[in-house]
Amino acid sequence: MTTHTSAVIAAPAPAAPAAPRRRARRDGRKWLEIGLFVGPALIVFVTFVILPVALAAVYSLFNWNGLTPLERFVGLDNYVRALTDPIFLGAIRNNFTILIASILIQGPLAIAIALLLNRKLRGRTIIRAAIFVPYVLAEVIAGLAWKLLLSPRGGVNALLEAVGLGAFAQPWLANPDIALWVMFGILTWKYLGFAILLMLAGLQGVPEELHEAAAIDGATWWQTQWHITLPLLGPTIRIWAFLSIIGSLQLFDMVWVTTRGGPVGATNTMAVYMLQYGQGAPGYGSAIAVILFVISLVVALLYQRFAMRRDLVGAITSGVR
Amino acid sequence: MNARSTMRLVAGFAAAGLAIGALAGCSAGGDDPDNGGDAPEEVTITWWHNATSDPLQGLWEDVAAEFEEANPGVTIDVTGYQNEDLQRTLIPNALQSGGAPDVFMVWPGGEVRAQAEAGHLRDLSSLTSTIDALGASVNPWKVDGAQYGLPYTFGATGIWYNTEQYEAAGVTAPPTTLLELEEAVSKLNEAGSTPFSVGAGDGWPAGHWWYQFAIGACGKSVLETAVPALDFSDPCWITAGEQLEDFLALDPFNDGFLATPAQTGADSSAGLVANGNTAAEFMGPWNAGVIGSLTPDAEVPEWLGWYPFPATGSDAVVMGGGDGWGVYKDAPDEALAFVEYLLSEDVQKRFAASGAGVPTHPAAAAALTDPNLQASAAALAAADYVQLWLDSDLGPAFGGPLNNAIVTIFGGTGTPQDVVKALEDTAAAQ
Amino acid sequence: MSVTPIVIDEASAVDAPPADLPRWRRSWMAQPLVYFVAIVAVLISVGPVVFVWISGFRSTADLNANPAGMPDPWYFQNYVTVLTSARFWGSVFSSSLVGVGTTLGAIVLGVMAAYVIARYTFPGRQGLYVLFAAGLMFPVTVAALPLSILLRDLGLHGTFIGLIIPQVAFALPTTVIILVPFLRAIPNELEEAAAIDGTTRIGFFWRILLPLSMPGLVTVGVLAFIGSWNAYLLPLLIMAAGGMPQELWTLPLGVQQFSTQYSADTGAVMAYTSLAMLPALAFFLIAEKRIVGGLTGAVKG
Repeated sequence: MTTHTSAVIAAPAPAAPAAPRRRARRDGRKWLEIGLFVGPALIVFVTFVILPVALAAVYSLFNWNGLTPLERFVGLDNYVRALTDPIFLGAIRNNFTILIASILIQGPLAIAIALLLNRKLRGRTIIRAAIFVPYVLAEVIAGLAWKLLLSPRGGVNALLEAVGLGAFAQPWLANPDIALWVMFGILTWKYLGFAILLMLAGLQGVPEELHEAAAIDGATWWQTQWHITLPLLGPTIRIWAFLSIIGSLQLFDMVWVTTRGGPVGATNTMAVYMLQYGQGAPGYGSAIAVILFVISLVVALLYQRFAMRRDLVGAITSGVR
Repeated sequence: MNARSTMRLVAGFAAAGLAIGALAGCSAGGDDPDNGGDAPEEVTITWWHNATSDPLQGLWEDVAAEFEEANPGVTIDVTGYQNEDLQRTLIPNALQSGGAPDVFMVWPGGEVRAQAEAGHLRDLSSLTSTIDALGASVNPWKVDGAQYGLPYTFGATGIWYNTEQYEAAGVTAPPTTLLELEEAVSKLNEAGSTPFSVGAGDGWPAGHWWYQFAIGACGKSVLETAVPALDFSDPCWITAGEQLEDFLALDPFNDGFLATPAQTGADSSAGLVANGNTAAEFMGPWNAGVIGSLTPDAEVPEWLGWYPFPATGSDAVVMGGGDGWGVYKDAPDEALAFVEYLLSEDVQKRFAASGAGVPTHPAAAAALTDPNLQASAAALAAADYVQLWLDSDLGPAFGGPLNNAIVTIFGGTGTPQDVVKALEDTAAAQ
Repeated sequence: MSVTPIVIDEASAVDAPPADLPRWRRSWMAQPLVYFVAIVAVLISVGPVVFVWISGFRSTADLNANPAGMPDPWYFQNYVTVLTSARFWGSVFSSSLVGVGTTLGAIVLGVMAAYVIARYTFPGRQGLYVLFAAGLMFPVTVAALPLSILLRDLGLHGTFIGLIIPQVAFALPTTVIILVPFLRAIPNELEEAAAIDGTTRIGFFWRILLPLSMPGLVTVGVLAFIGSWNAYLLPLLIMAAGGMPQELWTLPLGVQQFSTQYSADTGAVMAYTSLAMLPALAFFLIAEKRIVGGLTGAVKG
C-alpha cells in the first residue's frame, strides 16, 4: 500500500504542527467530496446492477421453474451439476481459447493499426469511421449478415470462387473443427474497431515532443515506438486487455446469433450454455451465471495484481526523464 | 422465501433515492392494466400474442376492434411480440413480477402444466361449447382434467416433399414404412438428389427426427405414462437413437446440415427445398407458407406434396404441436368471452385464410383449400394418439439439453445413451 | 518547477514529410504502405456492412434465390417502406432520446466516480473499483427477472426515464474502468500548481481535469451511446413489456416487425438495419474529431 501514496490529498503536509481541528475539517470535507462525487453513480449502480445480480445469485441455490414461489432449496446441487457436465466444461475451454487468442492476436493488430492511423493521412476521418463501423452494427444483424455470408452459397464462397480459390470454399460454420476459429475471425472483425478507438485515444496522451527528441537523438521509427510510445500507451493497452478478457469470458451475443454455440458445441460459450440450459430453470441458469462471475472475478483480480499494478502508482507523464 | 417480498423491501429503500427521477420524464401508457379505475363498467383487457407483422397482426387487431364494438365499455390493449421473447422472457417474467396480461399465448405440455400448477392460469373448463367444438386438440392444454388453455392452431408434423424429384428418382408412392423410407432415400441418392434437408443449426429440427423415432419405438402406452412421470428407463428411448443412427448411415441429409438454419434465407432447410436443392424436409404444418415465401415468386410451389412420417412402430402415433390462448387468474370475466370469440368459427376461418397455420375449429379446417394441409389434418384425425413435440411436452428445461444431445448424434460424436442421460439429468434436476 | 509542455494537438501529428525533417522520417514508413494497410482494413471492416446495405436493395425473393448476387433489378421498396413508416421515425426519436440521456448520464456519473477513485486516497477505494468492475462480470440476461420485478416496484415501467437510468447503471462499469487510468495520467504537478494558485479541488476538476481528459470522455461517450443504441433486453423489459406504444419502441425492437413466427422478410430487415445504423455512425463521426482534439497549450509551473 505504501506505493499508492500519490500524495493527492491536499498537497504538502504542513510543516508546522497541524492543528487537529484543521485536519479533521479537511478530512470531513474530503469525505463530503467523495460522497458527492461517487454517490449518484453508486446509488444507481447498486440498485440496478448489484441488487438484481445478488438476487439472481440467491436463485442459484434453489430448484426453481420461475413460476412457483421459491421453495426447493438444494444448496450447491446446481453447481455440482454444472461443473460435472462435459458440455459446460467444453464451453469454458472455448471461452479461454478465445480469451488467449484475443490478447495475442487482436492486441498487437490493434496497436499496429492505431500507430499507423495516428499519423496525418488523407481521409483519416473516413478511415477511422470505416474501421469503427463493425462495432456500431448491432450484434443481431452482424450475426445474421455473417451467417448469410458464410453459408454454403453465400458471399464468401462466391468470392473465393470468383478469384479462383474455389478449392477453399466450404460450409464454414458447419465444420466443428474450424468453427471456433471462424467465430474468432468474426469477433475480431466486430471488436477490433473498438480496440483501435481505445488505442487512438490513448495515443493522444503521448506528447509529440518525445518523438522529436528521439528523432534528434537519431532513433528510428521503430525504436521510437518500442521505447517511448508503447510504454506510454501501457495503461491504455492494459485497460483494453482487461476489457477484452472480461468480454471473452462473457461472450454471448455474437455467438448466440451466429451459431447458437454450434455446430455440436464447437463454439459454445458459458453464457450460451447458460441460456440454453437455463430455460425454465432459472435456478440452474443463475448457478451458471455465478460460476461465470467467479471465474471472471478471479481472472480479473489476478490480472489486476500482476499486470496493472504499475498503473496503481500515480501519474507517469510527470517529469519525463 | 418469496422473490417478490424480498425485492419489495429492498426496492423501498432504493425508491426513496430515486423518487424524483421516477416522477420526471414522460410516461406513456405504463398503467396497471387490470382495473379501469374510474367508471365501474370500464374494463381493459391486455392481450399479448406473437404476430409481429401482417397479415396476422392486422387480423388480431381487427378482431380486437370487433370485440370492443360488440362490447361497449371494454377496451382491448393488444400487442404483438417476437415469439421467442414472448415465450422465454416476457410471459414468465410477467407471471412472476405481477404485470401479467389478461389473455396471452400458452404453450402446451410442460409449460401449461407448470403455469397451471403455480396457479397463474384461470380454469377455462366452463367454456364448454368451445371445448366441444374444438375436439381432441384441446387435450395437450389440459392439466389434471381441467382446461387451462384453448388451441387456435394445431397440426401434424410430416414430410414435405418435391413430387417431381421423387418421380424422377423412381419413388412412385410416398413411403409408409421405415423400410420404404430407407429405400426411397437410396433411390434419391442414386438419382443425384439430396433426400432431406434438416436445420440442425437451430437444434430443434434435428430433435424432431429423434422424437419421431422415439414416439414410434415407444408407442402410446409408454408415452402416456413416461412423459408425465419423467421416467426414461424403457429401452425404447435407446432404440430411438439407434434407429436414428441407422438412418444417418444412409447419408440422407444436405451438406453442412450442422449449421443449416431452419427458416432464414436460401440456405435454410426450408429454402433448400424451395429452391429444389433438396427433395424433402420433415417439418410442421407451417412449412407450406415458409417454403412458399422462399421461392423466387413467393408462391407455394405446385410440386409440393406432404405425407405423414412412416410408421416405425405398431401404434399410429402422430407428432404435432400448436399454439393456444390462456387467461390470467386475475383477469376480468370479459376475457373469457374474448377467448370464446377468438375461437369462434368466423375468426378461425379468417385465421386459416391468412395462411398462418392450420386452425383447430373443424369447420374452419374443413374450409382449407391447400391439399397438403388437408392431408395433414386428416392424418391428425386418424391417429391413435397425438404426441406433442417432446421438448414441449417435457417442459422448457428439457429443450436445450435434449436437442443438444440429439445434434451430437447427427454430428457423429454422440450416442443414443447420451440422449437418455441428458433426459435423466434434466429430470433429476426438476 | 517547470513541466514538460503537454501538447495534444492534431496539427502536430506526423505530416507528409517536409524537406527539413530528418531522413529517417521521410523514407521509412513510406506513405504507400500505410495507405495499403489502411485500405485493407477498411475493406474488411466495411465489406459485410456494405453487404447489408446492398441486400436492402434486393427483394427477399431475390435474396433467397441467389444469396450472393448483386441486386438485379434494384428494388427500392424495402427502403421506401422503412422510410415512410411512422413507426421507424418514432423509433429513431425514441432511440435518440434514450441514447443521449444514457450517454449524458453515464459520462456525468462516470467521470465523477472515476475522479474520486483515480485521484483520492481513502480506504475502500480499491474495493469501489472492483465493485464497478464486477458489474461487467455478471451476464445481464440472468438478472432480467429480478430487474423486471424491481422496475415494476419502482414504477419505472413504460417510461423513458425508466429505461435511461438502468442503462446508465449498466454503462457505468465500462465508463469507470476506462476513465480511471485517463484521469490518473494527469500529472500531480498540475493539481499542486492549481492548489498553489488557490483553485479548489472542484475548480481543478471543472477547469483543468475535464478538458484534459476529453479524449477519454468522448470515448466513453461513444461507447455508451452505441451500447444504448443497440440495446435489446432492457428496452424489451421496460418499454415493450411496460406498455409503451410501438411507435416509441427503440430501433432494435422495431426490427421484429419484419419477421413472423416462422420466416423473415430478409430484404426489409437489411434495409431497416442499414438505416437504423446511420444516426449512431453520425454520432461517432461527430465525436471522433473530439477524440483527436484536446487542449493545446503548455503548463508551466
